[in-house]
Amino acid sequence: MIRLEGLQVQVGSFELRDINLQVPQGGYALIIGPTGSGKTTLLEAVAGNARLRAGRIYMHGVEVTALPPEQRGLGFVYQQYHLFPHLSVRENIAYGIRRQGRNGRGFRERVEELAGMLAITPLLDRPVRGLSGGEQQRVALARALAPKPSILLLDEPFAAVDPASRQVLRRELRELHQREGITTLQVTHDFDEALRLGDVVAVLAEGRVVQSGTPEQVFRYPNSAFVARFVGSGNVIAGVVERTEPDGPGRTFRGRFRGEHLTLDVVAEREGSIHAVIRPEDIVLSRTSHPDSARNHIEGMVARLERLGPITQVHLDVGRPLIASVTTASAEEMDLRSGMRVILAVKTTAILLV
Amino acid sequence: MAAHSLGSRVVLAGLGACLVLFVVGPLLRLLFEASPAGLAQALRDPELRDSIVLTLFTATLATLLAALLGIPLAYLLARRAFPGRRIVQGLIDLPVVIPHPVAGIALLLFLGRRSAVGGTLANLGLEFVSHVPGIIAAMLFVSAPILVSGAREAFQTVDPQLERVARTLGDTAWSAFRRVTLPLAGRGILAGAILAWARSISEFGSIVILTYNPKVASIYIFDRFTAFGLKAAVPAAVILLLIALTVFILVRLLQPSEQR
Repeated sequence: MIRLEGLQVQVGSFELRDINLQVPQGGYALIIGPTGSGKTTLLEAVAGNARLRAGRIYMHGVEVTALPPEQRGLGFVYQQYHLFPHLSVRENIAYGIRRQGRNGRGFRERVEELAGMLAITPLLDRPVRGLSGGEQQRVALARALAPKPSILLLDEPFAAVDPASRQVLRRELRELHQREGITTLQVTHDFDEALRLGDVVAVLAEGRVVQSGTPEQVFRYPNSAFVARFVGSGNVIAGVVERTEPDGPGRTFRGRFRGEHLTLDVVAEREGSIHAVIRPEDIVLSRTSHPDSARNHIEGMVARLERLGPITQVHLDVGRPLIASVTTASAEEMDLRSGMRVILAVKTTAILLV
Repeated sequence: MAAHSLGSRVVLAGLGACLVLFVVGPLLRLLFEASPAGLAQALRDPELRDSIVLTLFTATLATLLAALLGIPLAYLLARRAFPGRRIVQGLIDLPVVIPHPVAGIALLLFLGRRSAVGGTLANLGLEFVSHVPGIIAAMLFVSAPILVSGAREAFQTVDPQLERVARTLGDTAWSAFRRVTLPLAGRGILAGAILAWARSISEFGSIVILTYNPKVASIYIFDRFTAFGLKAAVPAAVILLLIALTVFILVRLLQPSEQR
């Protein structure tokens, strides 16, 4: 278990503030955020390599804020791997296995076991110079896991690996995580990775956690236009909401959203400046209009089609660009083609206001 | 560089060859001046043998002292940003630009019996002027900058992130240094130490002022030359040249191939 309470870290002119995050025992958490949002600094702080200005770090319920890195019992895989160039692959992996274990048989077996799991047994007696990116990645992972850490920190572990190896490594990492039961905290700028790997995800922007939750929650209910855009929740439209029904007892009310050439009926919680988020799969396309009060109907034109296997993304022009996604089968049934005029129907309740 | 015409290449090569010949020529001339018999004869002179032993001993001690005091400093200069780092760096390099007799006079004033430091040390039984410690002090003064800059550059070539990785793998700061940085910087530090050692062996200007007797090899040669002339100085000069060449080749072998 990792718990971060009110962390504040200063590195040069960059500041990480009010970081609160909890990763459950054996959980897999991802920190996502654009380049320069402070992700690596956050990992360094958890590892004990960055000095804290404020805040506390707990691991398995014990405060480790003042402990040096070597006493925190964690493994750290860096983005650039940083294998020890003067040691062989085997010596790199064995580096962190403590001395009392070095003489015993467990030491050799541990190295062989990890090498087997990560398919690098043939490399064991090679120098690290000349290894490919993917091979270095596996050695770095084996090295971090060898001392059986209870916590694993991963900094963009797949950034320097080709896409084919990335998929394999991702799967292996997930399996390793389950087998070894290690509480894992990974940093990435790729939300796709978070969706595939994470139990918990925290979005970092300019040194702050702007949203955290399960990947599904963050994706479906982004709490800001920034998060919605960053995780690719859907179309993000800036505008203003005004109330269209008199004050009622509930927290929500019917309103009208206006912005970027669009006027939409919405269910809102507050008036004023706001962003509307419309997920591509919540836009229903048809050739003719069937008006009803629960839906917005917008006229638009198909700009182009992008087939992604069973799903087709329809790029529309409604005075501003919008993206809808339909099954490829229904796209063909409707005979969608660019230049065609269509009616977009969006449920008032499907429009998320943030 | 871009492609050059034949003419300009000949000019470039010619100019370079002049300088190379100017460096190699006198040394070859000196080497061929001494006959093996003459060298053997010279080595039978106990005074020359003593001076060579004294030179090797004092240079080794000066280098060990420079390493003990200089390697931690080199590490700090390479790795830590601290106030006044540039000033410390400049001060350490200062002896390189000071004429050696000037260094000798400065050391004489600082370590002589009449100075506070020299007087105190003399009362504790450590005499510098006209004693072996004076030779070591002069050697340390002129050679420490070489060792410190060599070690600093060696530390700078080692990725500091590697120590952080070692820390996460359970190493204390000291054992991360010992297991990662030191082995990776080791060759560079050793090369710096050998250069400092060679610099100590070749030192003359400051030692001649601080401690003329007992004589180190360079002073012995000077002494032979002024007292008995050129012929008497040659065999000892050749022996010192051979020692210097050995050191030079050692350093070249230690350097990574791309820097050779």
